[in-house]
Amino acid sequence: MTNAKLVGVNLLAFVDQGEVGNDPYRIDRDGNPYVAVGDGGVVLGLRLGDSVFGHVGDHAAPGACVIHPSDDARHAVVGLSCIGNRVIVRTGDAAGMEGVVFGKRGGGERVIVVFTQDVLQRLRPSDQVAITSRGQGADAPVAGITQMNITPEALALLPVRADGDQLHVGVRVTLSSRAVGNGIGRPMAMWDVDLQIDGTSDGTSDLRLGDLVAISDLDARANAGFRKEWLSVGVVTHGASPQPGHGPGVTIVLSGPAKHFSVRSEGATHQGLREEALLSRAK
Amino acid sequence: MKVASNVDQLLTQMLSGEVWPPLADRHGYRVDPNGDAFFLPGMGGVTLDVHCGDPATGYRSDHLEPGLSVRHREQGPNYALQYLTCIGNRVEVSSGPQRGASGFVIGQHAYVLVDMAGDEMRGVTTGDQVTVTAVGQGLTLSDHPDIVVKNCSPALLNAMAGGTTSEGQLEVHVSAIIPPEAIGAGAGMASEYANTDLMGAYAGLDDDLSLGLESLRIGDLVAMEDQDHRFGRGYREGWTSIGVISTGSCLLFGHGPGPSTIMSGPTSSFKIVEDESANLSFFNLVQHRELS
Repeated sequence: MTNAKLVGVNLLAFVDQGEVGNDPYRIDRDGNPYVAVGDGGVVLGLRLGDSVFGHVGDHAAPGACVIHPSDDARHAVVGLSCIGNRVIVRTGDAAGMEGVVFGKRGGGERVIVVFTQDVLQRLRPSDQVAITSRGQGADAPVAGITQMNITPEALALLPVRADGDQLHVGVRVTLSSRAVGNGIGRPMAMWDVDLQIDGTSDGTSDLRLGDLVAISDLDARANAGFRKEWLSVGVVTHGASPQPGHGPGVTIVLSGPAKHFSVRSEGATHQGLREEALLSRAK
Repeated sequence: MKVASNVDQLLTQMLSGEVWPPLADRHGYRVDPNGDAFFLPGMGGVTLDVHCGDPATGYRSDHLEPGLSVRHREQGPNYALQYLTCIGNRVEVSSGPQRGASGFVIGQHAYVLVDMAGDEMRGVTTGDQVTVTAVGQGLTLSDHPDIVVKNCSPALLNAMAGGTTSEGQLEVHVSAIIPPEAIGAGAGMASEYANTDLMGAYAGLDDDLSLGLESLRIGDLVAMEDQDHRFGRGYREGWTSIGVISTGSCLLFGHGPGPSTIMSGPTSSFKIVEDESANLSFFNLVQHRELS
């Protein structure tokens, strides 16, 4: 299968409104009620490079979330979409304008699409978008590692470099698998994993949307689960959450035995995906 | 357990449910930790031959739900059944050839799970109706305001060893202590629903998957380190949650035998005692009637 060609598939999706239950409140980890803001739909004012802890929100993602009303079709939209896929708005005031897939959320629920702020202001829930999906099945730059959820072109925008049988990866921070909450045990083509952090643990206070993070002792080739001496790397694609077991979300892009990775925790010097670069390289 | 509580203030609700069938899709297979496909029994229906006190793992099974798997056909009443039912509540079969047979709740797993004597269980199948005598939600421990109790019937509380110590801690006896690395699917979900799957208990698979949890038994009380399950299940340093192992063998990766949570509080509020008899099988819950 090595070097087999990737197949692109055009998908139709719809801009999401977000949902709130008939009770407006969710309960935070201390038992206090709150109203969730930014959990899906079109979210303005949140950009790649922003702190995951910098806004009042719950799982807020930068840009717009897109969905499909049919369950099976939605699972395909989420499963096949990859970071770096080009998105074109087909209806409404923003018709013809472009965005790019930035991540995915929940149980085959939503694809996160980054648009510039001026496009977002013209975008409305239920606008149709076309996603040119491509990337699942791509070989990782190093044998023994599984790559998913990202196009090779978008991976090239990140501090990831192959050197022989080693993949050198620069990340904001490396976390223990014990930090992984919601999303554990789920298929990584469909779900993100939430990090159970609040910014007080080492190296996490400066975590930003678009950052790469590494998670030790996590095998995320298919379902995500604990496995000693394995490592998974993902892109931080949504912000923090007050809910217990939830937090900033990571769309997994690489997973394999730790011996194949050379991970560099870059801290404050780390630069992950940024809006301009991602939009300019969309395919 | 010798502890002051508000048991006298609790109300009892009679709830109905039915034994729900095992479900599959037309593709059948799921994926194990090594990427291999499997198709195995365990979830839904009436799962025989595994009871409280038996090993939780070591079966050719996935998401093993011992005994009866019960839900309600309609969404709202089903949430009432799932959220209000507590471990140790009495369950009576109310239709079919085993009408009148009784058992007790061992936990939740998106179904209410019911253990009963094996010879009676053999005559129960999908569609049979059951009645749950639900009591326990709202239980508080007067001398332990930091500890939140959920899904725990007065019968279970009464049967547990331990209680308030002279230092003011709550002594709880458990069969095993669970490290936070083991917490799998179920993290981030409501504490009154389903349970927490434990990884690191794949008996017979690779050593690099093991967290030493292969000897858990169905019905074991366990202490989960660094877990706060008061308002949903999440990781939190310095907190401890107590659960009862209600499900067994899993091959689906990131899943495993799982505790339903009964207590959460600051670790300093508990005195945890390891005790092999901390298992529902020693508690004589089968014949217990919540109502005198």
